[in-house]
Amino acid sequence: MLLHDLLFRLRSLMRRSAAENELDDELRFHLERQTDKYVKSGMSEAEALRRARLEFGGFDQVKDECREARGVSLVETLVQDLHYSARTLLHSPAFTACAVLTLALGIGANTAIFSVVNTVLLNPLPYPNPQELLAGRQNDSLPNLKDIQRQTSSFASSGGINIEPMDFTANSEPVRVHGAQVDAGLLATLGVRPMLGRWISADEDVKGGPRNVVLSYPFWRDFLGADPHALGRAIQLSDKSYTVIGVMPRNFTLPRELADVFVPLWAGDPEAAPDRAVHSMHSYWRLKPGVRLAQAQAEIAQADRRLAEEFPDTERERGTFLIPLHEWLVGDVRSALLVLFGAVGLVLLIACANFAMLLMARAVARQRELMIRASLGARNGRLICQRLTESTLLALVGGAVGLVAAKAGTTLLLALKPAELRRFDAITMDARVFLFVFAISLLTGLLFGLLPAWSASRGDIAEALRENARTTATGVSRSPLRSFLVTAELALALILLAGAGLLIKGFLRLRSVDPGFNSANVITMYLQLPGTRYPQIPLQTNFRRELLDRINAFPGVHAAMITDLPLAGNFVEHRVVVDGQPTRAVGAEPEVQTLSVMGDYFGVMQIPVRAGRNFSAMDREGQPRVAIVNEAFVRQLVPGQSPIGIRIDWAGNEPHEWMTIVGVAGDVKHSGLNQPVDPAVYAPFSQNDEAWRKWMTLVIRTQVPVAGLVEDVKKQVWSLDSQIPVSGIQSMDDLLAVSVAQQRFNMSLLVSFAVLAVALAGVGIYGMVAYRVNQRTHEIGIYIALGAQHRDVLRLVMKDGVKLGVLGIVLGLAGAMALTRVMVSLLFEVEPTDPAILIGVALLLGAVAMLAGYIPARRALGIHPITALRRE
Amino acid sequence: MPSRSIDLPQGTLDLLILRTLSPEPLHGWAVSERIQQISSDVLRVQQGSLYPALHRLERRGWIKARWGTSENNRRAKFYQLTKAGRRELEIEQDAWQKLTAAVSQVLETV
Repeated sequence: MLLHDLLFRLRSLMRRSAAENELDDELRFHLERQTDKYVKSGMSEAEALRRARLEFGGFDQVKDECREARGVSLVETLVQDLHYSARTLLHSPAFTACAVLTLALGIGANTAIFSVVNTVLLNPLPYPNPQELLAGRQNDSLPNLKDIQRQTSSFASSGGINIEPMDFTANSEPVRVHGAQVDAGLLATLGVRPMLGRWISADEDVKGGPRNVVLSYPFWRDFLGADPHALGRAIQLSDKSYTVIGVMPRNFTLPRELADVFVPLWAGDPEAAPDRAVHSMHSYWRLKPGVRLAQAQAEIAQADRRLAEEFPDTERERGTFLIPLHEWLVGDVRSALLVLFGAVGLVLLIACANFAMLLMARAVARQRELMIRASLGARNGRLICQRLTESTLLALVGGAVGLVAAKAGTTLLLALKPAELRRFDAITMDARVFLFVFAISLLTGLLFGLLPAWSASRGDIAEALRENARTTATGVSRSPLRSFLVTAELALALILLAGAGLLIKGFLRLRSVDPGFNSANVITMYLQLPGTRYPQIPLQTNFRRELLDRINAFPGVHAAMITDLPLAGNFVEHRVVVDGQPTRAVGAEPEVQTLSVMGDYFGVMQIPVRAGRNFSAMDREGQPRVAIVNEAFVRQLVPGQSPIGIRIDWAGNEPHEWMTIVGVAGDVKHSGLNQPVDPAVYAPFSQNDEAWRKWMTLVIRTQVPVAGLVEDVKKQVWSLDSQIPVSGIQSMDDLLAVSVAQQRFNMSLLVSFAVLAVALAGVGIYGMVAYRVNQRTHEIGIYIALGAQHRDVLRLVMKDGVKLGVLGIVLGLAGAMALTRVMVSLLFEVEPTDPAILIGVALLLGAVAMLAGYIPARRALGIHPITALRRE
Repeated sequence: MPSRSIDLPQGTLDLLILRTLSPEPLHGWAVSERIQQISSDVLRVQQGSLYPALHRLERRGWIKARWGTSENNRRAKFYQLTKAGRRELEIEQDAWQKLTAAVSQVLETV
């Protein structure tokens, strides 16, 4: 039946002109027969014809209905309506531009955010069967990972990876590259194969295994000239020779890490590989098909318990938690993106409300035309259809313009570079984005075109007509739909403003957090000593001391060294014992950050020394071991005591080589401005007994131009050792800015949405008041002629606007209270119902609304009674 | 006469058309004449609604049309019941009879 229907319609459509002729013939035949009949019954020919025609009714109307019955008209009408709409829209370019622009803003902003949501949250990970992939929340050591893999049966495979800087020396300048120290299972877990050659095999991934390396595509291209015969070549990495056995595909990326070369952990760090206590590897797991996460987690918990029993020294507090890889990757950014997506949806709603109001105003302006068409017999449905075509056409054009705007917008978004989005170097616009734009444009056009069209058919137009007639005396004329739209706009704008206000406040709070150091005029550089040539601490100390002396000899420069900079995301953690405190269970000692320094680090960073003394040149090898702790250490580990003179050491150091606390440094926000400060211990590099602390970060406070200084420092480094790369050159100010990039991203976006929303809502109010003034020119003229004061006139035209404004703001406040709660995770030390913010944005929006209403209202004051009366 | 004739209740036109066409193919004018005649001029088909109805029935596949020669030797479009149309006629006729029987029962009893 359906098929028949469809074929019939198609046939009718294809042979349209033939069908038209046939229809004509058929109806004419009927008229003829009827006329004949009347002639036979004795009427005159002319009378008979007249009678037949009269009975038949409107010939064209019947034809129209027949066409409709045949189903042709649907498509035909659409084409006709499109023509008509395009023509009338081009005739009113101002209206068209307003409508298209309004929608383009709303749709464009939505599309931009949706592209990000699409790329980050919706697109699958670039690995086969990504739903089977899990990530370990904590780092672990290679022996533990291997044991767990052996003792469980839920996993098809698992792999570990640890990124360490490696020095690639072959070309003129040594280069620091990201070296991935992996186990053989990693690539099988991700389900990827090398493009050239092969991956590290399981039998090579053992103690004393061959030093093989797999290259990333960019490394192979940039340093080996994309040599197709690179396999088997030897390259120098951190002073060791590695054989190239494979090259990864061009589009391969690790889930979260950046890597240029992949080497077995056994080859890259043979000391760490067998050490159960070195929890340095990220782990990835692939579930066997059909195994659920809960099963796997239960199995892992058992394995964890066994390990904890077997190795209490290091594994007592272990707990491996697996989460789906996708969730792990987008975890932080997900809530932010969803809030932004919701916010931008509100912007679209406001734009749509304006769009609907534009359409309504246009319908009123075109009432005469509509009335004529209606009186000519156009049915209501037909008129609504026609107007829907127009609004949909506008919306689709708006969507197209919005798409272009979105393209520019996403480029802008990426330029803001929030940390979590940094791994997406391209926000792609795929079919899904286009579908999204098309769908919301269509929906907007239909829904918000239908609203005014429907309200018009229900009498708003009639209302408008009456209003324009001279009979409007008291003028209690309201369009309920328009009032609703204005109120809703204000309420939505207020919600967005509240959200933006909260984020701004949170961001300012965050920026005003004292990081504990003075970031101004400090430049930093990262160096790492190759273990092959600096295996022992004295060698390392000599290099460091010599380099630091040379740099400090530069005029206007004050330099020091530390292992890991604050806000850079790294630190080494040790368990600590305090001399004289009751012994704790092995493995249960408190953990502290341990930072090695050389030179006047506290002076350079302007970290205050709160008690005791700073390190001096005397605190060196061969002298009593000293340490400086931060205030958090004192608060948490030796509360209520004077820390100076207390002795501490790392847990497990037997016999203890105590360090004496000689000073207390001010707290530094090491892990982030919004993070609590953990206990930290600073100790001199030169008294260090851990030769694996081969890296250091130079911190240089300077007044001289940075570019020249960096070159001078590099020269000094290379005059000491030409094989050591200098990397990570950045100012402390930049580091500080990067650490709040995500918050800045959230804030910037929400603020721009709020501004957009307020502007759109302002335009909405402006339009409403302007419409009212226009509508009542006549009435206002009489008022003024009767001696009304400015105040009275203003009250007349703005009264309704103010009422709606207040209502909208009150509703918006209620909405904000309810909705800003979803932002809790994005806010720093701000309550989502912060009263100052809520009151502030309500006042701000109220002021904008008053202004938007006042501008057109002022026009009413200028109305001259005579002109107003003549106008009709 | 117009004063005696009544307008067709909604939805019955299709039924009447199908019924009228069941003995033999007819053209549109003949259909309206036949309905009027048989109902002794009580039922008057609005010609304005007859043709849209015919085209609608054709689209549904209940009747099909072909061009033929009329009784006065003119080219005319004849409509003819299809198999599906015949089935539909039976269904609708049945429904109609049930309806009218029920209505008259109510009218007579209450």
